[in-house]
Amino acid sequence: MSTPTETLDPDAAQAAIEHCYDQGWSDGLPVVPATQPLVDDFVAAAGRPADEVIGRSPQVDRTVTVELAAINAVMAGCRPEYFPVVLAAWEALMRERATNGGGWQSTSGPAPLIIVNGPIRNVIGLNSAGGAFGPGFRANATISRAIGLIVRNVYGIQPHGLEQATQGLPGRWQICFGENEEESPWAPLAEELGVPGDAVTTTLLRTCEYVDNRHTPDPEQLLYDFADTIGRSGAWIFKHAMAGVVFCPEHAQLLASAGYSRADVAAFLSENAGRTTGQLARAGKDFANDFGVRFPGTAEDPDAFQRTMPPADPKRMIIAVAGARNAGISMVVRYFADWSGTPVPIRAAADAASAAPASAAATG
Amino acid sequence: MPNAILDPTGRTVVEESEPATVRAPRRGALTGARVGLLDNTKHNAMLFLQEVGRLLVDEHGADEVSIVETKRSFSVPVDDEIVARYRKSADVVVTGVGDCGSCSAAAVADGINFEKAGVPAAVVLTDAFTTTGHMMAQVQGAPGYEWITTEHPVAVLDEEQVRERARRLLPQIVETLTAGGEQ
Repeated sequence: MSTPTETLDPDAAQAAIEHCYDQGWSDGLPVVPATQPLVDDFVAAAGRPADEVIGRSPQVDRTVTVELAAINAVMAGCRPEYFPVVLAAWEALMRERATNGGGWQSTSGPAPLIIVNGPIRNVIGLNSAGGAFGPGFRANATISRAIGLIVRNVYGIQPHGLEQATQGLPGRWQICFGENEEESPWAPLAEELGVPGDAVTTTLLRTCEYVDNRHTPDPEQLLYDFADTIGRSGAWIFKHAMAGVVFCPEHAQLLASAGYSRADVAAFLSENAGRTTGQLARAGKDFANDFGVRFPGTAEDPDAFQRTMPPADPKRMIIAVAGARNAGISMVVRYFADWSGTPVPIRAAADAASAAPASAAATG
Repeated sequence: MPNAILDPTGRTVVEESEPATVRAPRRGALTGARVGLLDNTKHNAMLFLQEVGRLLVDEHGADEVSIVETKRSFSVPVDDEIVARYRKSADVVVTGVGDCGSCSAAAVADGINFEKAGVPAAVVLTDAFTTTGHMMAQVQGAPGYEWITTEHPVAVLDEEQVRERARRLLPQIVETLTAGGEQ
């Protein structure tokens, strides 16, 4: 469906966009002004009641409803058929300990990592191949942006106000991609965690760091390269720090053909990512008790190896596959806190109708 | 008539009135007062608070430090249950040290909650979080609420420096907990 261009009114569009800037509703880029008919289409696509409460922040005393989420998704540039993905991503984020605490306000300025599995990737044109971390694809760019606009507008958590990011990080509100199931040697991430089909897996990230290794056919050498990046001292605050890996197809296939499952990769990295006490002492981070932050200790036993991550657990380490099969370039994704380990199924209106016919009928 | 542009915030605009605040009644002095300390878990906060508590007892006639708790989540304001516990066990509360994004905002909300419950509170934030403190005071409906500000950062100070900081802020803390009260 497209509108004949001669009936479009760019001057009206520009004025409406400027109005939204004037209200403080934008993250800096132009937003799509939301109107009731379009918002109704979004709510209908999700098949959920407009007034259903989907989030609450006790510290700022604000509540998110399906309709408010829809307004912000419209403004982010989503299409109605993306909205069930936005809602699933939001629900998955609400399961994170950090988003119910101070995550959105933090000096760390963490970014949601949103990974989508299932056929819906192809239905909505969500990129999972080359350039998965962006930019260039409407679904990827706008679904993640919608989450940011909900936090900004509904919770009122804005930079220089309740949002206190010291530097923030590149990619905040921009990291959303499909898992490259077609070229992954492993089962889809969400399916392996018990949610087959269309689903979102997410956590808050402190940063993403590339590992470029086109140097070895040896799986252990490859994994030691990841272990080194995961182990750097700068990322350590508490006793442990947590990270996952978004492998490119080439790395994933190399590991899988050598017999490595996701759990094997997690076990190897958990065991081998870290630094010696002596190395950590140089950075004033060699001592940690079970609760507080690290601080300078006595550096006894300088050769003792301290592991970055807690003992391996497949529910702790996100191991996904995305990107093009054209080079050995993967991304370590470093968590802001921890990860719920629970993907959320994506439910569109048709699913909602079969699950709950009465409420779907009520919302049209 | 074109469609209206929808507001994405879900909030109704409140007319700015004069900066309201909330303040529990004070006694003019701390003599015999029971002091409550609420640690927000941030590094050096407990050491700072305990030194303040000691000085209030040793030098300002407070009876004792009667309740010391550590927040379970530094970023979430205290709930009614915690406030009730402090109201029962303490006459005044000192809390902080807000030196991060969410914990500073939450500490301001804590102070407002204690004052609402009738317990005078001294809240300490570092000067890096003044704006977020004001934003939270507005959210809590007490835009005029005041707290004590100290230089950022506190987390990297050594033990002696923390004690010195407590000593330096002591007059302001005493003033906050007693000003306007009857002797």
